Amino acid sequence: MVKLTINEQEVEAGRDSTILEAAKSVGIIIPTLCHTKGLEAYGGCRMCLVQIERVPRLQTACTTKVNEGMVVFTETEEINKARRAVLEFLLINHPLDCPVCDKAGECLLQDHVARYGASEGRFAEGKRVHPENVNDPFIVRNMQRCILCARCTRMCGEAQGAYAISVTGRGAHSFVEPFSGDRYNCEYCGNCLTVCPVGAIMSRLHRHSYRPWYVEKEVETVCGFCGVGCTTFLQMRAATIIRTLPKLGTGVNKGLLCVRGRFGYDYVESEGRLKTPMIRVNGVLEPVSWEKALAYITTRLKDIAKRHSPKAIAAIASGMCSNEDNYMLQKLMRFVIGSNNIDSTARLSYAPAKTYIEKIFGTAATANNISDIEKSDGIFTAGGDPTAINPVLGIQIRSAWRRGAKVVVSGQPGGLGNFIDYDLNSVPLHEETVLNTIVIGLAEMKGYTGKNPYIEKKIKALRVPCEPELRATGVLLENMEEAIDDLSRLKNPVVVVGPALLQSGIPSKNLFLVAAIAYLIDARVYLLSKKPNYRGLIDMGCVPDSIPGGLPVRPGQIKLKKGVTLTVPSDKGMNLFEMIEGALDGSLKALYVMGENPVFNLPDREKTEKALKALELLVVQDIFMTETTRHAHVVIPASAWSEKDGTMTNLGGRIQFLRKGAAVSTGRSEWRVIADIAKALGMNETYSDSKEVWEEITQISVLHSASEYEEIKGVGLMWPYGSVQFQGGAEDFEVEGLEILPEVPGRKTSEGCVVPGNKLYLLPERSLFHSGSTTRKSKAILSVSPEPYLAINTVEAGRLGLCNDDTVWVKTARGAAVVTVKIVMDCPEGVVMLSNTFEKVNFNALVGYAVDPVLKCMVLTDNEAHIEKL
Amino acid sequence: MDTMRCAADTPAPLGAAKDGASESAMLKDKIKVLKKLYPHARSVLLPALYAAQQLYGWLSEDALEEVSRLTGVSPAEVKGVVTFYSLFKTRPLGRNVIYLCTNVACLIMGADTLEDFLHNTYSLSNGETTADGRFSLVIMECIGACDKAPAMLVNDDCHFNISMDNIREILDNYK
Repeated sequence: MVKLTINEQEVEAGRDSTILEAAKSVGIIIPTLCHTKGLEAYGGCRMCLVQIERVPRLQTACTTKVNEGMVVFTETEEINKARRAVLEFLLINHPLDCPVCDKAGECLLQDHVARYGASEGRFAEGKRVHPENVNDPFIVRNMQRCILCARCTRMCGEAQGAYAISVTGRGAHSFVEPFSGDRYNCEYCGNCLTVCPVGAIMSRLHRHSYRPWYVEKEVETVCGFCGVGCTTFLQMRAATIIRTLPKLGTGVNKGLLCVRGRFGYDYVESEGRLKTPMIRVNGVLEPVSWEKALAYITTRLKDIAKRHSPKAIAAIASGMCSNEDNYMLQKLMRFVIGSNNIDSTARLSYAPAKTYIEKIFGTAATANNISDIEKSDGIFTAGGDPTAINPVLGIQIRSAWRRGAKVVVSGQPGGLGNFIDYDLNSVPLHEETVLNTIVIGLAEMKGYTGKNPYIEKKIKALRVPCEPELRATGVLLENMEEAIDDLSRLKNPVVVVGPALLQSGIPSKNLFLVAAIAYLIDARVYLLSKKPNYRGLIDMGCVPDSIPGGLPVRPGQIKLKKGVTLTVPSDKGMNLFEMIEGALDGSLKALYVMGENPVFNLPDREKTEKALKALELLVVQDIFMTETTRHAHVVIPASAWSEKDGTMTNLGGRIQFLRKGAAVSTGRSEWRVIADIAKALGMNETYSDSKEVWEEITQISVLHSASEYEEIKGVGLMWPYGSVQFQGGAEDFEVEGLEILPEVPGRKTSEGCVVPGNKLYLLPERSLFHSGSTTRKSKAILSVSPEPYLAINTVEAGRLGLCNDDTVWVKTARGAAVVTVKIVMDCPEGVVMLSNTFEKVNFNALVGYAVDPVLKCMVLTDNEAHIEKL
Repeated sequence: MDTMRCAADTPAPLGAAKDGASESAMLKDKIKVLKKLYPHARSVLLPALYAAQQLYGWLSEDALEEVSRLTGVSPAEVKGVVTFYSLFKTRPLGRNVIYLCTNVACLIMGADTLEDFLHNTYSLSNGETTADGRFSLVIMECIGACDKAPAMLVNDDCHFNISMDNIREILDNYK
């Protein structure tokens, strides 16, 4: 610690702190313009000038470090004169168009001029003129107002890692521009909007539609788009969201957002929102009252349970809904109706991966703080681009790389492209060989610790790939060897596992290999989750084989406070895939779908639709009409993410509070509707708000029994939620094909590796801009990514004679679609990609799936595609 | 180990280099060599841009994107650097470019008369090119030769102590 004096006040500050930080710690505010939380000190604007005794000239407080015995003054006549001059210089070119500037009222320059500025400027010449650019869908650039503080370019580079904008030109003609000079064509995280202190970079979405003082209410909540759970603030006026804002330094995201979180929220105000419950009469959904709809559901459920059995009823929970919603659905199924048939689309990859990893490493294995990633010294990722699936987590990886961490990527690098040390992008179906080689290499370098005999035994059983097998991967052996060398030296490593790892090849083998890497280098494991509450719904018991809190289903009774007894049903529950099969073979008669669109989100659409058509009762609770509601007998309007209170658990296991902004729709919280149904079916408990639901969760779930609600409401609560007792140990696990390696005959690619046949594999593109059926209703998101496209590699495009924007037929064994072509650099040879977002052309309609015997996850089938130019 | 991704190994997108295929290949090789001489991707940028300018004559948007891809510096940053320096040509200029300094020292020593001379003799104004494509004029802010003012650069050659007496003679060497 260092002692210094600021404005005749004794201050103690850390040796590394700046005068600005030291002053702030005792409440002395020094005005700044270019300085921003989270970015490195810049010293560009000269607003923070202070006087230091025995130093001849004024110094910038943001860059000057404290010293023992330093005597600093922050408000003297000399300083004020300097600040006045700085502001006068800025106003030479900054237009005084505050009345028509959206920033007025929250403009830092305006505030500083009001406080420190001269009453008039002495500069008689005209101001520079530069036309405002409104051609971008999201960002309006008014460079006349720019004061060149470089906050935006530093945010874009230093923090986001996009480097999409830069100061161009020189002197008075310097302007911040993207490469095109026009549209940004960037990741559209909008973090430049957060930091612009003036009205130079403004959001186009609500241009001239509000003034900062129109904001009536600001609500701190959690973003509802992906598993990161970024803290975001909804600024409301009446019932509408004016805008969503992050706050620098707040939440797991530390004030960063991605395109979906910042701009995509407008789907909640889309015209397609469901307003009233509907019952299908003579094939048509007719609006009915809430009472009638709920009475209909309960009568039908009672009837089906009586005529068949409770086992004939199932439910699909939702990764978009809160813990309370999911808990209540689970309660209805398990404890009221008496059926273990509950699952969700987490079954496709997240849930099996989590179960498997936890079996190998113990319960805590996937509960890790997301914001710790940037502190690690090395990251291994496999199975998908983190910067697209969980963008803010991806940014953490970029940030770690910039601090010197080694980044090794197996699979397409995507948004990590410029932040990689080893790009091990193998051709389709050969990733396994690459992972296998890394595991064997690491085992040789690191040796065995004996900590986990199960995994070590399996690692020892792996076969060393021979040379042709290695060559077939398309990844150079020396590249792998260097990566192994670097991985083996990491002290604080992270392994990131994405969904693609489980979707092809042998999922258990792939996942085991990545787990083996994590084991050998002793890494923390993060599982990417496209939906915000997959982890939460699993914790809430929305899986067929465990009750809330993760304990396995054991028939018997659970006693809660107030004399409530819940009975756990004894039957083996159906998982998502079994529900589809069950509906087809007649063993399942009724399905309750909450906030999910199985027809759209499962491959083999025909099969899912056939299954749903065979049901006696399909209840769908959603905010929109979807592909699934088309088959529903009853449709209930739900409340959107911004319209309810509750808790969400992010992919790293942090429970955070979701706060209600205001209700746009007449939809009701999912849990309330379900509780009403459960009451009509015999449940005794009543709940006045979501807190009471949470209290019941803490009574039944051993995982949450010690959690403090107030803490969740505050900064969020990290695993193990106040308790220490819940530590499962490692168990033995199953791996398929341990000793075999993929052997795929086929044609050679340009680099000499082998791609199966003359066909291409159609794989899902997990886009940064879209997350399925919500973002396709967002006008904002559609303005940058309006239509589907087929991503294809340069070489493959050349082979097929395709150029950008060509229209092609994509044909698979399951179907065909017409789509335009987009040539993408990092799509590997042998692969074409299509997202599952848009109504007409989407991935899942073109492929089939099989269920992996070990993991019980989804494996893509029938995805060999023929491309024909139209 | 070079920490930036070696974009040089990724193929160029279709249509990026149609006629300039050989220049493209040369630039790729040149930058590969340059990369070994500098510690970071960013430090390679200026020499890489000069190499591209030498090959293509000027720096088109395509050229900037190519340099970006080959160095790993983002296109926006490449543009930022290029637009900062007067010696980078962001549009096609004449066969010979006259960089005439008109900053204080040169001005006092008569740079304005030289500017007038260029205007009267070749109808050249700042930023313009003669109809025959022989000369372009770029007015500079200080080229660091104040002690030998007035000074100018023609292409890569420095000319000092220029006067009305010798300017014609100097320029006659550039066809």
